Amino acid sequence: MLSQVKSMTLIGIQGFLVNIQVDVSSGLPSWDVVGLPDISIKESKQRVKASIKNIGFNLPSRRIVINLAPANIKKVGSFFDLPIALGILCDLNIINNDDLEDYVIIGELSLDGSINKINGILPMCIEAFRLGIKKAIIPYANRCEASVVKGMEIYPAKHLIEVISHINKSKQINPFLIDLNSILSNNNKTYLDFSSVKGQEKIKRALEIAASGGHNCLLIGSPGSGKTMMAKRLPSILPDLSFNESLEITKIHSIAGIIPQDTPLIVNRPFRNPHHTISKSALVGGRCYAKTR
Amino acid sequence: MPKPGEISLAHYGVLFLDEIPEFKRETLELLREPLEDGRITISRVQSSYTYPSKFMLIASMNPCPCGYYGSKEKECTCTIDQVNKYISKLSGPLIDRIDIHIEVQPVKFDDLSSNQEAESSEHIKQRVNKARKIQLERYKNDNIYSNSELTPDLIKKYCKLDEKAKNILKDAFNKLGLSARAHDKVIKLARTIADLEGSKDINFLHVAEAIQYRNLDRKI
Repeated sequence: MLSQVKSMTLIGIQGFLVNIQVDVSSGLPSWDVVGLPDISIKESKQRVKASIKNIGFNLPSRRIVINLAPANIKKVGSFFDLPIALGILCDLNIINNDDLEDYVIIGELSLDGSINKINGILPMCIEAFRLGIKKAIIPYANRCEASVVKGMEIYPAKHLIEVISHINKSKQINPFLIDLNSILSNNNKTYLDFSSVKGQEKIKRALEIAASGGHNCLLIGSPGSGKTMMAKRLPSILPDLSFNESLEITKIHSIAGIIPQDTPLIVNRPFRNPHHTISKSALVGGRCYAKTR
Repeated sequence: MPKPGEISLAHYGVLFLDEIPEFKRETLELLREPLEDGRITISRVQSSYTYPSKFMLIASMNPCPCGYYGSKEKECTCTIDQVNKYISKLSGPLIDRIDIHIEVQPVKFDDLSSNQEAESSEHIKQRVNKARKIQLERYKNDNIYSNSELTPDLIKKYCKLDEKAKNILKDAFNKLGLSARAHDKVIKLARTIADLEGSKDINFLHVAEAIQYRNLDRKI
């Protein structure tokens, strides 16, 4: 029997729709994932098998083929665990495949069936919504980030069982809502203040101009003249973010996985201050570990 | 998938490189394209990804290894070769991409000991926000948010200089040997200074102030 579940992957900072097709058929017991999966998707076999077993269902000893369509695009990440598990549960007639049609489903499973936080949920939800999908089942820990997408119904789930009973309509999950306006106005983070810098009016003026127009600035001076002190106070005079800027920053931070759990949107301009021993890939981006394949 | 680096994490914000000559030169040179294009493409054998990186670069440095070259208070003990070697850690193309170069003089004792409170960040921020709002309004159909993102076409459209301003810019261009990019940077800077004043046009005072922020062009 064949079942289909919609999920998302990432290409750069762009979400991308992936149809997950699960086919369970008779034959020698096996588990194949096709459609250019990376190693973390191949490993999902163990997580999905264990979580289905641990919530009390029997995985049949049959041949399971999982296709990630479109098959010619490389997929990365562990967020296909949940859709794959649901696809298999459809085949076992535990849930009805037709009920899944309206949803995009993203999430990583633990062995006990609980759903873990993932990175990059915001760009994925934005793209899903753009494609006309109005409902999303996502990890509970990512609920704030995902709720930024206006008009999308976000169903945060902590455990696989919650998802099953939600889809079977035996116990619905409440959609998570957030007041966007209150978040945008809530940018009163405290910074070091320029009032503690005495004199140096010329430099302050230059930094004011730099902040207004987003210009680059180089401060040259003898030790102890206050270059670093003033630069560190720059965030306190940076202009407020517009919603679109805020969204774009949040997308990048979402992919990097550095958004705190209770923060839906980054509303303060980032201030990054890397040490001079920084490596090339840490500065411009790249892998944090060597690829083993 | 490659992770976004510091320059992408600083998107629409600030990347502060303290003591910039201490960074490895090859690391700094990587900033060239992102500074110009506002994005970085990371290409590997298997795939290539593009991340946005429109950041504001703030850098600080000493003028020489001992730190007192050109200082009135203390004598510099470095040889000219040492000074040149130190400055040359920052490549010309990188300096060219920095709009504002400014020398920070040591704080005077009178300033330091005065009890007068300096202007608070809140006041400065109000002016900055006002200037940024003017820019947002002006560029609402152009898909950019600030003056630093202006392309040559948009400069032509939005940054008209009067005769007097043009003459000053011409003099500076010839005397300082400005590059074409530096020429555009000066105009963008003048646009921001005019916006801070709430002035619709760019006049010669705005251009003159913008030119005096090109400190290193004069020295090199």
